[in-house]
Amino acid sequence: MRLSRLFLWDIRFQRKYGFYFLYAVLTAIYAFILFAVPGSWKEKTAAILIFSDPAAMGLFFMGAIILLEKSQHTPCAFAVSPVREAEYIIAKAGSLCAISFIVAAILALIANVDNLHIVLLGTILSSTIFTLLSMITATKISSLNQFILWTIPIEIVCFVPAMLHLFEITPTWLRYYPINVCMDMVSGYAPPITGILEVIVLIVILLVFSKKSVLKIWRSMGGVKL
Amino acid sequence: MIQVKNLSFSYTKQPFISDMSFSVSSGEIFGFLGPSGAGKSTLQKVLIGMLTTYQGSAIVNGVECRERTKNFYENIGVDFEFSTMYEKLTAKENLRFFSSLYEKKSRPIEQLLEKAGLEHDADKRVSDYSKGMKARLNFIKALLHDPLLLCLDEPTSGLDPTNSRVMKDMILEEKAKGKTILLTTHNMQDAAELCDRVAFIVGGKICALDSPHKLIMSKGATTVTYTWMENEEHSASCPLDCLSADEQLKRLIAENRLQSIHSSEPTLNDIFMDLTGRTLL
Repeated sequence: MRLSRLFLWDIRFQRKYGFYFLYAVLTAIYAFILFAVPGSWKEKTAAILIFSDPAAMGLFFMGAIILLEKSQHTPCAFAVSPVREAEYIIAKAGSLCAISFIVAAILALIANVDNLHIVLLGTILSSTIFTLLSMITATKISSLNQFILWTIPIEIVCFVPAMLHLFEITPTWLRYYPINVCMDMVSGYAPPITGILEVIVLIVILLVFSKKSVLKIWRSMGGVKL
Repeated sequence: MIQVKNLSFSYTKQPFISDMSFSVSSGEIFGFLGPSGAGKSTLQKVLIGMLTTYQGSAIVNGVECRERTKNFYENIGVDFEFSTMYEKLTAKENLRFFSSLYEKKSRPIEQLLEKAGLEHDADKRVSDYSKGMKARLNFIKALLHDPLLLCLDEPTSGLDPTNSRVMKDMILEEKAKGKTILLTTHNMQDAAELCDRVAFIVGGKICALDSPHKLIMSKGATTVTYTWMENEEHSASCPLDCLSADEQLKRLIAENRLQSIHSSEPTLNDIFMDLTGRTLL
């Protein structure tokens, strides 16, 4: 099946580009931090670490991957291949999700969090949202500097409310903000069903926009500067 | 294999391709010749289903290009003018990856690498390849899924004469297998050597369409130019088919006074200039 082949090749690319090595090092550093903090801080520290890195890694790496592919004109090769935009997106998002999942699982186990399954589901949902946001952003970008600038508003919109929500300094209604629902889950709290539905709707909307973005990239023949 | 009827396309309000009609049979090498910006690449993009907002009809392998699905590409191989490979992967890894995108069984990768003269560099990263090596690798990538139609964009551009020969032989080998080949180029020698028919494209229109031989012959017979000494060097020309009527030449031959004699055929570029007032190069 082409989707599984794409997924496995994406994992190979990421290994080749050093993602797995980088995350092995980062996980060791995060693990050290978790061992170092007092027991009562462990859960919140783990939630911050998981949400800000493995869950959000797609925001930075997906854009970088797309820019790299654009610079090597590989989107042209995909455009004239039988690969469907959805297969390309799912394989890329899924392969980054795999790293997020493994790192989050290690950190959650070290922190001995309650509701491990909710933490991991939250990580997968957050990772998917960040990866798709990054993919959409990278469409119109032609340099790494531009990409870094464009991610700043996304970071503000996604991280600030989530961190404030974690420390319970936001109004109650903001708990239905989809990113805050994800933050709740990464912290080990089961969200209300409406919250989960909101996140799913957001992911579907982002998928539709990602498909359009990928098609746009595939149809443009130009390269980028890295 | 390809039927194009009244095809028009525009990026803006001005027509970029206007009212083109032609057809290409299976097993034919068909060349698009024209200067940069003439509309060759745009036409190729329409035929490979990358531009779908055209007017008229463009049917490739029985499928109207604007209605193509992704399965359309199981039988089309495209060789872009630039490399479309992952630079950090080796040649073999790239070929394995791209062959995994198709449902059709891949042609043997080692055999293709050998044909392109890349068998000893198969495990080298593409970033370490020269321009010529990348061009050959890109070409065999288009052959991986054994497509019925090959679209080649400037396949010999930037290649040295030896590699250019290797590339042209591989193209002719695919034609011998019955593949239809679309060749976009501004290299008239390649077109004359490889193509069964060529279309001259200028300003988004086809100005002439025929076999290179017929186009060349349409300009008139080959000319013979000769020189001789008579106090100083003189030269004269006459058409090949009127040679026997040239009394001066007959006299010079009888007196063994010819210094040089050359025949020269018009080139595709001469024909192109005659028809359009522009040069291909």
